[in-house]
Amino acid sequence: MIRIQNVTFQYKGSEQGGVRDISLSVHEGETILLCGSSGSGKTTVMRLINGLIPHYYKGELSGSVMVDGMDIGNTELYDLAGIVGTVFQNPRSQFFSVDTDGEIVFGPENIGLQPEEIRRRKDLVTEEMALSSLLNRSLFELSGGEKQRIACASVAALLPKNVLLDEPSSNLDWKAIGNLRRVIQRWKEQGKTILISEHRLWYVQDLVDRVLFIRNGQIEQEWSGTAFRAMDGAALQRMELRASTVEQNFSLTQHENRETNPTAGEICFKDFYFNYEKKQRLFHRKNTQNDPDGHLTLRVPDFCLRRGCVTGLIGSNGAGKTTLLRCICGLEKGCGGRIELNGQRYIGKKKLSLCYLVMQDVNHQLFTDSVEGEVLLSMDRQDSKAVSEILASLNLADYAGTHPMALSGGQKQRVAIASAMAAKAELLLFDEPTSGLDYVHMCSVAKLLRNLAEAGKTILVSTHDPELLSLCADDILHIEGGQITEHYDLNKDTIGKLGAFFTEQIG
Amino acid sequence: MDAGMDRSRTKLHLDPRTKLFMVFVVSVIVLMTATTPLTWALRIGITFVPLALLVAEGRVVSALRFGVLYAVALVLLRFFISAESTGLLMSLLIGYCAIVAQFMPVIIMAWYLIRTTQIGEFMSAMQKMHVPDGISISLAVVMRFFPTFKEEYAAIRDAMRMRGIMLGGGSIVKMVEYRMVPLLFSCVNIGDELSAAAITRGLGANVKRTSVIELKLTVTDKLLMLCFACLAALFVAAKYWKAL
Repeated sequence: MIRIQNVTFQYKGSEQGGVRDISLSVHEGETILLCGSSGSGKTTVMRLINGLIPHYYKGELSGSVMVDGMDIGNTELYDLAGIVGTVFQNPRSQFFSVDTDGEIVFGPENIGLQPEEIRRRKDLVTEEMALSSLLNRSLFELSGGEKQRIACASVAALLPKNVLLDEPSSNLDWKAIGNLRRVIQRWKEQGKTILISEHRLWYVQDLVDRVLFIRNGQIEQEWSGTAFRAMDGAALQRMELRASTVEQNFSLTQHENRETNPTAGEICFKDFYFNYEKKQRLFHRKNTQNDPDGHLTLRVPDFCLRRGCVTGLIGSNGAGKTTLLRCICGLEKGCGGRIELNGQRYIGKKKLSLCYLVMQDVNHQLFTDSVEGEVLLSMDRQDSKAVSEILASLNLADYAGTHPMALSGGQKQRVAIASAMAAKAELLLFDEPTSGLDYVHMCSVAKLLRNLAEAGKTILVSTHDPELLSLCADDILHIEGGQITEHYDLNKDTIGKLGAFFTEQIG
Repeated sequence: MDAGMDRSRTKLHLDPRTKLFMVFVVSVIVLMTATTPLTWALRIGITFVPLALLVAEGRVVSALRFGVLYAVALVLLRFFISAESTGLLMSLLIGYCAIVAQFMPVIIMAWYLIRTTQIGEFMSAMQKMHVPDGISISLAVVMRFFPTFKEEYAAIRDAMRMRGIMLGGGSIVKMVEYRMVPLLFSCVNIGDELSAAAITRGLGANVKRTSVIELKLTVTDKLLMLCFACLAALFVAAKYWKAL
């Protein structure tokens, strides 16, 4: 039983993300979905319930929040540990241990349970969530999806009656989302009270009893689960929400009026072979793995991308998508391979001059103290006129003097793209550019990719987000087990194929 | 018994308390200057213990790397460098060799401690030694952050390589700045989210923290501790009791 009464909260030193006069009561065993754009206040609602507000995040708070008869404002956070459990968005930053076993027992150890009881609970959640294959492993070698399963398990080990999930699918592929869905389903069967805040609605919509739409810090609309499931895609888009069914992820509405330049030619990639050396060696040995029979992480002898087009790179988790991107831009030293463009061959480090990779965590690739400096850093010759042109084309002109770390996620991404343009990169590679983005931001990434393509750049984007592909991809490159299995134009006839790939993954 | 115990049975598995004691002893020896051949022999001899332990844990490559580095520094210091050596290169080499020869034993020991100890074990050991939770939790966070630093640093280096700014345009300040600024930002962010996640799972509760890992000192542990205690005593005696 969760009761929020007339709560207003404003973060200290920030205008954004607060809530205004929110009231909400959730019955025991109910499953609630909170939707709405980023910054609408979904996360704030979660933090009000798990006590991080007011105990960890400071600000001005009025009103009262009660969970199972406890007043959150007057209860210490550690006393809430066995009552409210929270699964967070980022799998990388929510584990405390280095190994999986330690992580699952971390909560019960904190609240001082007896070792026998802790072991019993660990066995219980391991059994329930089928985690035995993940036990006794280093958390740093797990995939994002596996980390998120451990995060769920460590929450479950505290046996909380209320579970909050704050955008838990942001960094997951469809297979991991399928697993997450099964965990939520089980918690629902166990009668837990569940609140899920999400942008991706399709995987939870049939589990929820009520849906709340939050905008500007207020609950603007409320539907029963049945009423929400009856809504069509267009209505959702008007509210700037993402697809609520699996099928809506695959609609090619904006595909018709698209122009590509058939004479633009191709960029070709030859002989990309690579193997991750797992075994530690005494001295680093450069390995040119052109052995055609050996087991390789990546075996891509030959493919071409149409210039001025957006190509979506898909494949299941661990198929080699990121490895391929890294090899193409020359970040993997052991990988040979060459790029051919306009009759010229680019090998080794020369590939770097042709490509630019926009990383999944864009924070890693911003180095200077101003947006302008960031762009200048990529130029051989300092040309401030060109800089302002590039910034203007990416809607960054007003931020030329701003520190990149003070920008929003989408703006940071555009700064990275700006420096790619300044470096005169022909081929832009994107690694999961839309993970954790809401509908509006996802659309603006799609539009940005289209604009870049129309300006003549060649785009290769690795993604788990079929909505993004439906909006902007011309071609699909499918990779499995380090090899290209399919390469096709995305159109009305082939969209089914794309759909089949993703739906198979959910399992 | 759970799966976590399997690993301990297959390999030599020391109690974290033993490892901490060994780090302490080696630090003491390293921080006192060796003057006589006997003290030098003791100091070099004690370096073989963590090397042997690394080999016993199956980390042969690391042991070899450390061993070679240490040996080279010792040989250079003993035979090729004298007090009369001059020049920039020579003085750099002297400084480098002296640091390696002086501190390598404790570096190897600490590396062994970090690499072969699970955080759970470590916390359990700290509890047994009645160290306050505040201290043991902080140390555990430090241990947890090593791999995070490594991951973040590798990602940043990739990004630098891609933009061709590894050398910071020839400026050492820039080289450091480009590495440190993004690293600090992302570590602060991770740390912030990490603490939020940890306290929602009861970290800092005012009950006595428990541990599923039950530690017991084995015969090997006791022998090693005794052996190290003797070595420390011998070293101190050799240094301050002139008769030896």
